[in-house]
Amino acid sequence: MKYEEAMKRLEEIVAQIEGGKLDIDMISDRLKEAQTLIKFCKDKLYETDEEVRRILEAED
Amino acid sequence: METLTLLELNGRVKSTLQFAMPDAYWVQAEISSMSSSGPGHCYLELVQKDESGRTFLAKAKANIWKSTWMQLRPKFEYATGQRLAVGMKVLLQVTVTFHEMYGYSLVVHDLDPTYTMGDMARRRREIIARLTADGVIDLNRSLELALLPQRIAIVSSATAAGYGDFCNQLEGNMYGFRFYCRLFPALMQGDQVEASVSSALNAIARVRDKFDVVVIIRGGGAVSELSCFDSYTLASDIANFPLPVITGIGHERDDTVCDLVSFAKVKTPTAAAEFLISRVYDTAMALEDLTRRTGDCVRERMVREKQRMQLLSQKLPSLFALLKVRQEHVLENSWNRIGIGLKNLIAGNSHKLELMEKSLAAADPKLILGRGYSLTTCGGKTVRSAADLKKGSVIVTVLRDGEIESEVR
Repeated sequence: MKYEEAMKRLEEIVAQIEGGKLDIDMISDRLKEAQTLIKFCKDKLYETDEEVRRILEAED
Repeated sequence: METLTLLELNGRVKSTLQFAMPDAYWVQAEISSMSSSGPGHCYLELVQKDESGRTFLAKAKANIWKSTWMQLRPKFEYATGQRLAVGMKVLLQVTVTFHEMYGYSLVVHDLDPTYTMGDMARRRREIIARLTADGVIDLNRSLELALLPQRIAIVSSATAAGYGDFCNQLEGNMYGFRFYCRLFPALMQGDQVEASVSSALNAIARVRDKFDVVVIIRGGGAVSELSCFDSYTLASDIANFPLPVITGIGHERDDTVCDLVSFAKVKTPTAAAEFLISRVYDTAMALEDLTRRTGDCVRERMVREKQRMQLLSQKLPSLFALLKVRQEHVLENSWNRIGIGLKNLIAGNSHKLELMEKSLAAADPKLILGRGYSLTTCGGKTVRSAADLKKGSVIVTVLRDGEIESEVR
């Protein structure tokens, strides 16, 4: 998944919950999904992606 | 016939020139080559080209002696923001000299930077007009910068101080954001800049999927050699580049044409790093905001649902009570109606009975006998006709207060 997509999905979820349109039964599922997305995004920001590093260094 | 030595001939040429052209002249020319010597003199080769710019019409050597050069150089660099360099059009004040050994040359006494600036500005305008006509001037700016521009292709010189500044600034960012940099080396000074930077950009273009953004940064010297970034080729490459290009070329005054077409231009390599860090920071803040809102709104929603439930549970008893009262009323009403119905039914029937009783009473024979009528029977049967009787029949006459037995004669 791309960071951009993750953020977009996250915004959707927040809008759903904030809009009060979400079924209470769905909230815990959405919350779990949101947490996964947040974790994914934070990792991108703060954790070294070894794969990216490897790809970029391989060319040198 | 007089014969001269070469030295004598050249000596005459020298004195003739000195005599005929003693003054200083302001001359417009283009620098075609330039070098400086150990003692600090500056040697130029000046040319004049035809309008096509391909054919040389005139050529001369020009020397700026150390003492003059030491004054002219800072003055020129201060005014133009550029170093005197090959390709520049210059307005020079010169005197003509001839040396027996080295021949014809000019000695430079003054240099007018405004002429060079005017020429650079004209050239710039021409490039901008051409890029505008190509329809590419806003092309790079209209690209979208990734939310996380973390994979950075750097065009710079590995030894440039600016490159180090940029990397240090990125890596040492106070938020702990990750960046991945790769250098595509290019010459950032001298007349090879255009070709070198252009080929570095081509190399990046071939692997563009691996990068989010391109950064062109330079050493950060105060003045540059020639306006090598006022180049149509480079500006066009940048404008057409498929990734956003950030220029940190570091011109003191005007932006170069490359700055003009780039996605963003910054003054220094450090500022280029800050630009990217702040972009990531904005994204990180947006994420923080979403994270907070997710939690907040779920909590709020839960509180609201709880209130809804509480309200319902509070309402329920009174609702039930209301329901009970209503049902009781309905029941009572029914009961009453049953009572009334029954009463009516009974009342109706008793009236009927009364009528029946009355008509029964009216038919009582005793009542008729009381009025003076009598009833005659014979042999226990009511006599309704005289023909029913014979002579000697014994009849019984029933009266109100008794019976009389008689014999028919």
